[in-house]
Amino acid sequence: MHNALMQKLVQALIDGDQATAVAQTHQLQAAGLAREAIITDGIEAAMTQLDARCTVEQFNLLEIMLAGRAVMSAMKVLYPGDAAMFPSQGTIILASLEGDVHDLGKNILKMVLTAKGYRVVDCGKDCPVDRLIATARQEAPLAVGISGLITTVIPQVRQVRTKMHALGLTQIKVMAGGAALKQATVQSLQVDFIGETAFDCLHYVETLPGGAL
Amino acid sequence: MNSLERIHAALLFQPHDRVPVIAQVFGHAAILAGVDLKAYVQDGAVLAACQRDALAYYDYDAVFALMDTSVETEAVGSVLDYRTNAYPTVQAYVFAKHDDLAQLHLPDPQCDGRMPELLKAIRILRHAVGNEVLVVGCVLGPMTLVSQLMSLQEALYFAIDAPEQFIQLLDFATRVIIRFGVAQLEAGAHLPIIFEPSSSPEVIPAAFFRELILPRLKTICSTFTQAGAICNWLHIAGKSTPILPFYPEAGVGIANFDFSVDPASAMQALPQTCLDGNLKPLAFVDASPAFIAEEATHLLQHFAQRGGFILSSGCEIPPEARPENITALVQAAR
Repeated sequence: MHNALMQKLVQALIDGDQATAVAQTHQLQAAGLAREAIITDGIEAAMTQLDARCTVEQFNLLEIMLAGRAVMSAMKVLYPGDAAMFPSQGTIILASLEGDVHDLGKNILKMVLTAKGYRVVDCGKDCPVDRLIATARQEAPLAVGISGLITTVIPQVRQVRTKMHALGLTQIKVMAGGAALKQATVQSLQVDFIGETAFDCLHYVETLPGGAL
Repeated sequence: MNSLERIHAALLFQPHDRVPVIAQVFGHAAILAGVDLKAYVQDGAVLAACQRDALAYYDYDAVFALMDTSVETEAVGSVLDYRTNAYPTVQAYVFAKHDDLAQLHLPDPQCDGRMPELLKAIRILRHAVGNEVLVVGCVLGPMTLVSQLMSLQEALYFAIDAPEQFIQLLDFATRVIIRFGVAQLEAGAHLPIIFEPSSSPEVIPAAFFRELILPRLKTICSTFTQAGAICNWLHIAGKSTPILPFYPEAGVGIANFDFSVDPASAMQALPQTCLDGNLKPLAFVDASPAFIAEEATHLLQHFAQRGGFILSSGCEIPPEARPENITALVQAAR
């Protein structure tokens, strides 16, 4: 019975069916399943299938956003009221830099990372480099992720790793993504990784020391 | 051959003296002239002067009366944030709270927001270049305009959560686009480019495009043709290959393809449609003139036998592009 309920949850999450995902999560809890089991066999199983489906050619924002919203709603059922209770596999800081007010890509990465158990500190959009770095000093993340839709933020992106290294934050990796930044190379952007999709960034984070699940 | 004749020949796959070059120079024209982008996007006379200067400097085949992607939403009622040397962004979306659709204001291009300034820029440019050079106006596509009325994230959720209202909003957007585009044609544009990045298959599935966007693009294109557009030019960025086969049905005469689309697959999908593309926009900022020349030559060789090609970038050439790289693009076709 649990297995059938879990499969319905997985399918609802993949379909981006928020209402069914929430209802199935409630049912699984009512049936006595621990939330850790619901995360492992339900949410993470769905994310794995979604990851496989989201090859570069099939990836589209609509499907991933709907799935992400369903996942976040299911997580809220499991951990009502306090995001800090989510199991954390490490901290990731995300931002869109000053002058860039587009944050959809960043929000999607936030959903993907959160669903995989990472604690995400979101510096928001239009974020000055110095504020991003101050947050990195405070939070000691595994990585800083920068999303960029406009090319004019590139000079700011180039400052991030250099400034962090000058402060001794050499262990923090810098990853980038978004329509403008993914045209560039890691060398030209002076970052450690450029992701074509949110799942690319997830995979990169999972390779970092302390980031493997 | 003048530029307009050259483009016309490319449209019809007929012989021409050389392949036309349309560098997608929008805000870069302001930077080149030493003008604040903030002034460029608010003053039609300034925009037209910068475009004319850029045309004189680069000697390519088209000028653009194109401000940014917020002109229509501002005219409907969104509040913008204008910053020095940057394109404006939406600070408060007019449809953020999913209010009553009937309350949305259908803008009058002659008096609302910056629409009159854009029309002014078109009149000045057309008066200056006549039928020598292509004068391109700009409208957003329906999905992109809906995204600008409520944010892309909200628009995508709205499409799923309230599909009937979403369709009504798409129809409202279509009315705005038609009214603005026809006004641009009346002001002297040879055509308004239809800028529709939010319909990229990277954003919405191809079936969504086919069912909801394509019928409205057909209406927009047929209306523009009736109003005198020399053809319809559709610009959808990103990996557009899955939706390219729908373009002829929409009435598209020039199809932009981005750097992420393989030229061979674009040719295969659109054997009888003029294509424009597809150098990587960022290369105009961080690559060398030699690299641009090599890439452009490669493209010209790809299309040499087929024809029906306009040499261009895959999307807007960034405002901060190196001028020598744009010169290299233009020279590659000569």
